[in-house]
Amino acid sequence: MTSLLVAKQYIKMFISKYEVYVKPLLKLILALAALMIINAKVGYMQKIDSLPIVLMVALMCSFMPMNFIVFISAVFLVLHMYALSLEAAVITLVLLAVLYLLYLRFSPKDTLAVLLTPLSFAVGVPYAMPLAMGLLGTPVSAISVCCGVVVTFLVCYMSDNATVLAGMETEDMSTKFRFIIDGFLDNKGMILTIVAFSAAIIVVYMIRRMSIDYAWTMAIAAGAITDIMILLIGDFIFDTNISILGLIVGSIFAVLIAKVVEFFGFNVDYSRTEKVQFEDDEYYYYVKAVPKVTVAAPARTVKKINSSRRRPTR
Amino acid sequence: MINEEKVILMTRMASYEYGKGKKDITILNYFKGDYIGFQVLKSVIAATISFFLLLGVYFFYNFEVFMQDIYNMDLLAFGKSVIILYLCMVGAYGVITYVAFATKYSRAKKSLKTYYANLKKLASMYEH
Repeated sequence: MTSLLVAKQYIKMFISKYEVYVKPLLKLILALAALMIINAKVGYMQKIDSLPIVLMVALMCSFMPMNFIVFISAVFLVLHMYALSLEAAVITLVLLAVLYLLYLRFSPKDTLAVLLTPLSFAVGVPYAMPLAMGLLGTPVSAISVCCGVVVTFLVCYMSDNATVLAGMETEDMSTKFRFIIDGFLDNKGMILTIVAFSAAIIVVYMIRRMSIDYAWTMAIAAGAITDIMILLIGDFIFDTNISILGLIVGSIFAVLIAKVVEFFGFNVDYSRTEKVQFEDDEYYYYVKAVPKVTVAAPARTVKKINSSRRRPTR
Repeated sequence: MINEEKVILMTRMASYEYGKGKKDITILNYFKGDYIGFQVLKSVIAATISFFLLLGVYFFYNFEVFMQDIYNMDLLAFGKSVIILYLCMVGAYGVITYVAFATKYSRAKKSLKTYYANLKKLASMYEH
């Protein structure tokens, strides 16, 4: 454990030192991942389904604010849907517009969760999302994750029924519309996932705020169990065909990821190096304020402190 | 001679000014009523647009039904229920906006108060 903590200190120091370079790099990786997954899943428009364009857009994203990645992903999604069929594009656009207008205006910081949730589904660790958001966010984050779930299921439905949609007569707009909306709203798996994820986020949040030992670990365990229980019971009642093995293995992975999040997120101080400029009557000041990072102590010294502490009590 | 204490204080204040403070100051440029009113107005517009988008989808969805029954439908009752739905949605959304942004305003005010206290402290340093 000590060596892990030392590693954490090193990573923290590294990030605070090279923040200027690390942040755009992370944004670039996220944008690349998001766009490539969208292209792989619903790459119907040939023009934007090429690596040079993805690379160019991702590079642009790395210099823009974080929410720009979400915007670009939405644009890509709608364009691909347009190539599939006009109705699909309209429905996707309306859904995204309503999400943006009604919810994301309140919590622009949570926008990323809407992007990360579909990504986590695509990568195969969807159950990590509610645990991580419960640990790092607030109960309100449940709404962002649910928005992400809705977007995921819409995209999945479209890509599953792409051949049917492409094969339908173009004159039959109303039928296409009905086909998409009926199939999308009738998806019990989606509603079940929304309920399970919201419950997991709220459970994780409530338990991690308790003043008990190992609150974060217990919160992760309780959240994962809540998730599994609701999905299993829902599967039993609505017959949603969830693979039980996948659920359990996925949840184990999710717990591992949540432990990593806990390791980096717990007791995190958001202090970082800041450069500020100001002046008074006499001077111009160019100040670089570096937060004091407790220097990693070698393992042996830590052991010594522990033993000397215990001795008097014996 | 550089006064260290002063530099620390000024650095703290400058980092607030460029970071979180920037937003707080723009929020507090408005009176509380004006700020919240403006946000509620924006929300009402957003809710109206989303309502019409959803209504459009609903119309398209039931396009054939409407085409068949347009003459023997009780249009007045239908319009009434649409308007009631609209008012409910906008009303609920407005109330949520009011609460959310009232909290935001009072939070910004609180942190800006600390900033002004620091400013006073700084001014008193110059007097000595």
